[in-house]
Amino acid sequence: MGKPHPLLPSTLPVQALRAEFPILAESIHGQPLAYLDNAATTHMPRAVLAAMQDFEQHQRANIHRAVHTLSQRATDAFEGARATLKAFIGATAGHELVFTSGTTEALNTIAQGLWGAGPTQAWLRPGDRIVVSGLEHHANLVPWQHAAHMTGAQLHILQPDAEGRLHEADLAALLQGGGARVFAITACANATGERPPYEAMLAMAKAAGALTVLDAAQVAAHGVPDMAALECDFLVFSGHKMHGPMGTGALVGRRAALELLYPLRLGGDMVEDVSYERARYAALPMRLEGGTPNVAGAVGLAAAARFIDETGRAAIDAHIHALREQAAAGLAALPGVRVLSRDSAAAALVSFVCEGVHPHDIGTLLDQSGIAVRTGHHCAQPLLDQLVAGPTTRASFALYNTTHEVERLIAATARALELLR
Amino acid sequence: MDNAMNDLYQEVVLEHKRAPRNFGHLAAPTHQAQGTNPSCGDRIAVELQLQGEQVQDIRFSGQGCAICMASTSMMTEAVKGGDVAAAQALQQHFRAVLTGEEEPDDAPLGKLISLAGVRQYPSRIKCALLGWHALMHAIAQHGGKDDAATVQAAESDGATLQASTTEAP
Repeated sequence: MGKPHPLLPSTLPVQALRAEFPILAESIHGQPLAYLDNAATTHMPRAVLAAMQDFEQHQRANIHRAVHTLSQRATDAFEGARATLKAFIGATAGHELVFTSGTTEALNTIAQGLWGAGPTQAWLRPGDRIVVSGLEHHANLVPWQHAAHMTGAQLHILQPDAEGRLHEADLAALLQGGGARVFAITACANATGERPPYEAMLAMAKAAGALTVLDAAQVAAHGVPDMAALECDFLVFSGHKMHGPMGTGALVGRRAALELLYPLRLGGDMVEDVSYERARYAALPMRLEGGTPNVAGAVGLAAAARFIDETGRAAIDAHIHALREQAAAGLAALPGVRVLSRDSAAAALVSFVCEGVHPHDIGTLLDQSGIAVRTGHHCAQPLLDQLVAGPTTRASFALYNTTHEVERLIAATARALELLR
Repeated sequence: MDNAMNDLYQEVVLEHKRAPRNFGHLAAPTHQAQGTNPSCGDRIAVELQLQGEQVQDIRFSGQGCAICMASTSMMTEAVKGGDVAAAQALQQHFRAVLTGEEEPDDAPLGKLISLAGVRQYPSRIKCALLGWHALMHAIAQHGGKDDAATVQAAESDGATLQASTTEAP
């Protein structure tokens, strides 16, 4: 330890970037913070903080309603943020972007929107099939369980193998029976780091007549999918996992697919014409954005997208993957440690289990060394029950993490195992 | 790391984690319940052999972290052979110490005093209480208002601890 890892490219000015994130100067229990819980939440650079403050100081007003100047500035800021984020994700003229509070709200908006119109009008009907990958976090599983329960549709899980990998042949077998109306999959499993062949799988499901859903939450900060190139009807992501504010996110979709969603938040700003007896709903995207949105959040989210693009997506991606490889190799070399999805080269996180030692105990000891990792089920209990029959310790990387921090992680884990065994 | 080793992982705690007492199953339990911690998936099941008001025998099973396993192991030692009211009283003292409502030196905790350091680690309090949570639920099957109140107190410690008696559709 101590030497730079040979796989790490030097294209990213990491020290200069770190200076843009004030929180990284924190000390935890007297140790420098090594923040390795980015799969749960990333931190915000000064550019994002400044954009939000600028909005609040100079533009804050309600949007789409008033004729005064501040309202127009706020409306311009909000719609400008929408345009920035559509470009960020590769949306075309045939797509629309709906602001949400995050990935969970976006997935619920899809799943509930597909049955909310009632038994005669809704997309989902009794006997339909919903296919969900087994790699999902709860937010891309539970809403589909509920949708199946409410509609009489059947939920089918695309099961991973013992190593946590998904196979196209298994999806083909599931689709062969016909009747698949929805296929939902993650771009990267948050509990293991597995990167499924989602491009091919989305295309297979689309060809079989299903609406396709891609959860891009875990890749938005470094490996953003290009919506225009995917057979994808809905794509979702969260702001707080891509250096943006908490409580922000987006649902991007093909217009025709978004039109299928029954609006769930009824009220102001999502109606076109209302009488005491009935209402006519507005067109997209406002139809799915009832109520006053988090405008400063949307502005911050757009600033985060610009920050990622200015830093360079390819350089960020390479940096993070090299850190993951360094961590996976170092941890796997420790006695009794098993790294999940060891060979998933595209991962930004490393999830591992240690024989005879519980993740919570490791997590507490790492925290004593200033190292923030996540321990537990990572909101993906069925997958971890299948793969390791319990919780894991997970370190996850962002553009500001360093090889030295990974060395600290490996050394502190080794010490924790020594003390706890 | 050394602070946590002194506060949380005293040798007696690690020794109970490595060799938990009364681990396993009873041939014919009269009462049983399971506690789960959804944040990590840890599960502790407690089986009791009650005769009247006396805890004749107790076993536990499941998986948990060192704090959880040691706490449950020490709990079984402490309540075995005693009566239900003593188990409930001990649970209340232990919980009060962990949540800062009672000073460790004022509470009759016996060996459980070794877990008093958990109070310095709020995120770990639910680990130490998981087995106790299951015990209180098992005792609650015994019936009675006091038992219900004890379970309610146990549940309020940790918003994230569940007895999982119902399932969502």
